Amino acid sequence: MSNTAEDMLDDDIYDDDEDTQKDKYLTFHLAGEDYGLDIAFVTEIIGIQKITEVPDMPGFIKGVINLRGKVIPVMDIRLRFNMEAKEYDERTCIIVVDINNSAVGLVVDEVREVAGIPEAQVEPPPKTGKGESSRYLKGMGKIDDEVKILLNAEKLLYDEELE
Amino acid sequence: MSEQYDPEHIEMVQEFVQEIRELLDELEPVIIEMGQSCSDDGEVGDITDDINSIFRLFHSIKGAAGFLNFTNIATSSHSAENLLDLIRTDVFPLTADHIDLLCQGIDFIRAAIDHVENEFNDEALAEESKEIRDKFLQAIEHSKGGDTTAAAPETAPAPPKAEAPPLIDLYAQPAESVSPEMVKSFISEASYLLQNLEEELLRWLKDLDNHDILNEIFRGIHSFKGNCGFLDFADMEALSHQMESVIDFTRTGGQINKTSAGELLLKLIDIHRESVTDIDNGGSGEIIGLDIYRDMLADLLPANQKLAPIQQGKQAPLPAPPERLGEILIEQGATSKEEISDSLAQQNKPLGEILLESGSVDEKQIEKALETQAKRRQKKAPGKQAVKKQDIRVDLGKLDSLIDFIGELVIAENMVINNPDLEELELDNFQKAGQHLGKIVRDLQEMAMTLRMIPVSGLFRRMIRLVHDLSRKSGKKVDLQLIGEETEVDKTVIETITDPLVHLLRNSMDHGIEPAEKRLAANKPESGTIKLSAFHEEGVVKITIDDDGGGLPRDKILAKAVEKGLINGDGSDMSDKDVFALIFAPGFSTADQVTDISGRGVGMDVVRQNLEKIKGSIDISSKPGQGTKVELQIPLTLAIIEGMLVRSGESRYIIPIINIIESFRATPEMITIAPDGQEVVKVRENLLPIIRLHEMHGLTPDNHELEKGILVVLEARGANFCLLVDELLGQQQTVIKGLSSYVSKFGGNIGGVSGCTIMGDGEVCLILDVQKILEMTQEPEGE
Repeated sequence: MSNTAEDMLDDDIYDDDEDTQKDKYLTFHLAGEDYGLDIAFVTEIIGIQKITEVPDMPGFIKGVINLRGKVIPVMDIRLRFNMEAKEYDERTCIIVVDINNSAVGLVVDEVREVAGIPEAQVEPPPKTGKGESSRYLKGMGKIDDEVKILLNAEKLLYDEELE
Repeated sequence: MSEQYDPEHIEMVQEFVQEIRELLDELEPVIIEMGQSCSDDGEVGDITDDINSIFRLFHSIKGAAGFLNFTNIATSSHSAENLLDLIRTDVFPLTADHIDLLCQGIDFIRAAIDHVENEFNDEALAEESKEIRDKFLQAIEHSKGGDTTAAAPETAPAPPKAEAPPLIDLYAQPAESVSPEMVKSFISEASYLLQNLEEELLRWLKDLDNHDILNEIFRGIHSFKGNCGFLDFADMEALSHQMESVIDFTRTGGQINKTSAGELLLKLIDIHRESVTDIDNGGSGEIIGLDIYRDMLADLLPANQKLAPIQQGKQAPLPAPPERLGEILIEQGATSKEEISDSLAQQNKPLGEILLESGSVDEKQIEKALETQAKRRQKKAPGKQAVKKQDIRVDLGKLDSLIDFIGELVIAENMVINNPDLEELELDNFQKAGQHLGKIVRDLQEMAMTLRMIPVSGLFRRMIRLVHDLSRKSGKKVDLQLIGEETEVDKTVIETITDPLVHLLRNSMDHGIEPAEKRLAANKPESGTIKLSAFHEEGVVKITIDDDGGGLPRDKILAKAVEKGLINGDGSDMSDKDVFALIFAPGFSTADQVTDISGRGVGMDVVRQNLEKIKGSIDISSKPGQGTKVELQIPLTLAIIEGMLVRSGESRYIIPIINIIESFRATPEMITIAPDGQEVVKVRENLLPIIRLHEMHGLTPDNHELEKGILVVLEARGANFCLLVDELLGQQQTVIKGLSSYVSKFGGNIGGVSGCTIMGDGEVCLILDVQKILEMTQEPEGE
């Protein structure tokens, strides 16, 4: 773990062009598992704040928030995966991603770190997954003994099937 | 033109397209107005000015098109120019056919620039262009009475510099009516010309033998003179005429001290600038000490070359308070005119110093004169503003994002000043600084709101052409009066109301105004009047279309409505207002026959839809035999609405004030519950259905009893209902923000929400769409 943290630091200092975003994932915690999200999509991470509910939305769209004057919708990833809802606490974070030029906030239990996972260490998602949620996966990333579930952000946001 | 276009060319073409569009918009109404003045019994009014300005505009189009190698556009405008030139020089009079032809020419150029905008060349237009050219040629020959020596259309545009700038008849009568717009464009053009002249003069002073520059200067001063003469600024015209003579003398090889001539001309440019500033401030543009300057110019020329001063409609300026130091000194008898002009002619230092050196005046006199000058300048202080009042074109996208940023700034400022972390702290200095910031931000916001505002004159002027065409088609004589053209409205609003306005005017022309015989029989003037006016009232803009036609036929509308099953019974008990509202029903038309102007009944519901899109409304009043008045009420801007903040449970909402009629607390006896559970409240004589906001949005209200909440009576499309909320929190200006596009992808009505706003505390608050709520509640009934 500390190993990857150092890597991240090094990278931040030495190169900051687009290429360095390759194979980098923002990892977060959700219901006992670690997930990863391609860092290229992430614009920022903010603490949980008051969400204004919008009627007639699917349950996983919690509502909208004010991000410095911009109104952006917020999706609860737990609800997106049909997991049990969890009360928000001080560790709850909103990861703001930008896909197809629209910003969306993703509510997660806890943000971990930025980890580099080379392509060679990513395995395809398990085909025999029992839940439907596996279609939103990009693969399973291995860092030493740990496994991070890598999400396909675009499908997570835009795949209609789950609605 | 080559097949490949570099970005520079494309950019130039885009600029060209914009410029030509503006020119055309300017040109069209002038032509129509001119047409009106000549169609009235052949008694041609004074149209010299109009002809000249049209000629000039076609000339500019030709020049610009020629420059970009748009041969077809250039040649067709050239043929229009030929025609106008012949009219201008009184070879034959202007006829209505000419007006039509000019309109066709404009239509062609419009189509051509649309084409050019996409293709970057006009090669495909050769045929149409030839057609137009032939028409002009025919018209010229015809008007000349078969004289075939008429100017043949040139195959290539004349090179821009080969033609002298538009010739203005210097001896013409002063312009009958100089509109403020004309003065405004004169000012910006004059400032531009003077700027150019100054640059050219400076260049020339460094390169005295350069003939090209001299020619450039000559052309510049000539145009300037023309402009001045056109608007009857006699002093400036006279002075520039003499400047022109000096330059002409110089460029034709006359013996002259070039350096001193150049310096003097530079000085005189400054004099002109002052006059232009004076005009900008509402002055007459007269030049104080004109005679001195003219003498100075004359002194440059050898004695036998002295030119007679230009003949003027008006005499040289009356002795007005002199402003120049030299004048004052003469006035005080300290020196003579000759001394002053000698000094001025070689002037590089302040005049006072030179005079001192030459010993012609003493220090005290100068001081006294300078003092007087300062005092007098002070008096005229407002006239000292810079003339640099020019427009620049800005990309609308940039403007919008600037306005967005300012909107965010307003919110951010609120969040800082009302930050919960600062509560209960004593922060005197912070408060002061905060108030200052707040004021600046509000000013900025106000300014930002005006940026998108443009006057309705452009829109109104387009209607002149419409009415002209319709009037020719239908044979009805109509006088269109435009009132309040300067009223400013958001650009998007203008775009949205263009179609409705066109439609309403067509209606007025086709159904409203009666044929001449009928009007005469009804003791009305033969030609009808349509008044199109715009004005501000209580934060909204009202646009009215008022005709003096036959009025709306109540009986006919009712009969049609009964036939279509739109109303129950014969409708005899309906108010006029309700009856007139029927014409907004889709497919409604009372026209006995469908004409090519209107009558298919698709119009009025589209008019209403367009207005609803921008949160506007429409109102009709009509008196049989006296006319119809349609009033459009539109918001000033789409970015801000006046809203009422309401609360239901923990949630707050904004309701647009425009939809709110009243609010009250109900008593039990006012409420009735229908068997299907629908609650109805009796407000005076009306029974209104109640919609509970908390039920619609799944909220937990303070209490469920109707009597404890507040009922807000809302109106949309003439239908009323009540919305139950817990509390009214107050009225406020609401900056509208769209819900994210990601949200709208889930579709649906979004619970009757049209958008959202950000409150002072940073929280997002939804804006209710009354129209949508009404539709949502009515849907189940239809099933």
